[in-house]
Amino acid sequence: MKKERIITFLQRAILVFLILYIVLPLLVPIIYSFSTLWMDILPEGFTVQWYLRIFERPKYYQGLVTSLLVAFSAVALDTFICVPAAYAINRLRGRIGEFLGSAFKIFPLLFPPIVVGTGFVQAFNRPPLALSGTVILAVFAHATLGFPYMFRNVLAAFQTIDERTLSEAAASLGANLWQRFRYVLIPNVTPGILSGALLVFALSMGEFEVTTMIAGFGWRTMPLLLYRSLIDDIRAASAISGILIATSIAAFIGMTILSSRVGGGKVQTEEGMRR
Amino acid sequence: MKRRFQIPHEWYFLLPITGFLGLFVFYPLCNILIRGFIDNSSGNFTLQNYINIFTQARYMDALKNTLWFAGVCTLVGAVGGTFVGLLASRMSPKARGVLLSFYSLPMTLSSLVVAFSFVVLLGRNGVFNIIINRYLGLPRFDLYSWQGLVVTYSFYNIPLMTLTMASVFLNLDRSLVEAARNLGAKSWQVWLYVIIPVLAPGFLAGISIVLAGMLAAFGTALALTGMAKMLFSLQIYSHASESNYNIPQASALAVVLIIVIAFSLIVLNWIERRLRPGGSRR
Repeated sequence: MKKERIITFLQRAILVFLILYIVLPLLVPIIYSFSTLWMDILPEGFTVQWYLRIFERPKYYQGLVTSLLVAFSAVALDTFICVPAAYAINRLRGRIGEFLGSAFKIFPLLFPPIVVGTGFVQAFNRPPLALSGTVILAVFAHATLGFPYMFRNVLAAFQTIDERTLSEAAASLGANLWQRFRYVLIPNVTPGILSGALLVFALSMGEFEVTTMIAGFGWRTMPLLLYRSLIDDIRAASAISGILIATSIAAFIGMTILSSRVGGGKVQTEEGMRR
Repeated sequence: MKRRFQIPHEWYFLLPITGFLGLFVFYPLCNILIRGFIDNSSGNFTLQNYINIFTQARYMDALKNTLWFAGVCTLVGAVGGTFVGLLASRMSPKARGVLLSFYSLPMTLSSLVVAFSFVVLLGRNGVFNIIINRYLGLPRFDLYSWQGLVVTYSFYNIPLMTLTMASVFLNLDRSLVEAARNLGAKSWQVWLYVIIPVLAPGFLAGISIVLAGMLAAFGTALALTGMAKMLFSLQIYSHASESNYNIPQASALAVVLIIVIAFSLIVLNWIERRLRPGGSRR
């Protein structure tokens, strides 16, 4: 009896320790951002003034707005290109589909942010595409980094709904291509699109590497402000970190709810992100 | 008769992504490939940018550092992730679900948030360093050293490997191991011919992702140590966007980085095929 108890206790302790390894680094910036002073082991006081600073100072507030704008636009762009592509590739099974599927898996490994950034810096700094320094370039960059994740989630959704049978049934009832999309296919793959959208959104909100390479003078995203404030305003840094962590966790909870509602439809995050 | 030459409608759906890939992947890549052969000041064709990489000490040092750093990070990630993945596969489904949910969180987290967090925990006056120093009397851990970077990046790599290895261990069919034992296989034979070939594909796929990521990583390193650590990716960054602006040199370096990553992926893929049951004879 006693030995069993020790074993369950040990198992619990290991579980708690393993979870703390992830939770502690996530919790620290949040605690920091709500404390008045943290010089020693434990923080002191409670305040929301560092968050108020984000909303009061134009520099930070505009950064937040820019980040949200860029993230939403990147999600929209990725949705626009990936939904039709996933539909087509799901239908074009066989060799081409397989090839494209694995190509999208290897793509982010072979072309990490440092390469994407180096390419963007020179490709868009002169006519015909002189976009350097504009926010729209950040949208394109984030969409480029995010599309493999969006694509995989939407493709997985198309694969689970048996798209051909659904389309044929709808077509036999007289639905044309547009109607099949609008009333049958899109509603069925929405969970996949939403999972991909949350993932791309979270990635875009936290993206630093490429953004810092293409940043102009007129705008700053949250991670760029965080990079600066790590040096000169550690309080603002903690509040920005708090907001970014909350975004990641919210996106993750959203994806978990979606995948549990679809049932077995696992969110396609496995391939990891590059830092 | 006309219909025979009609293009299937699916192909039109590939137009948006084709345009997107052409503009934002193919076009920038062509720029990198071409500019790498152009002289920064005169604009003439040259091989100097590539010659520089193999003759100038700082590039070769950076490449060596990157290979070492990526290798150590991958090793730590592989060992840690395999260990946690094994533990996760032995847990009750509920505990495993909770654990793996937490371990998926770091993937979308900004590299700068992680840098900030580790500064608070392990920086010069970090919480852990105060505890270590005051109560245990041990020297402080230096977050701004190579070891510090490995520890920080492990926050990404260990969870990534954990997720891969947990599903690999769950897929390991125990009856295969028992069958091998019943047929008289010794313990080392079971490992070499049954367990490792089953685990290898997932393990090597995980390793590939971590290694490729670490060969190119620079965000957290830049936030923690600035340009102090000579990493290959930081050399590219400094030429592409900082004071010593030299796009052709950055392009040549980027091409070399792509080749290094591609080469390591090919090697890992080759090992995977060798380890596959019967693979060595193919």
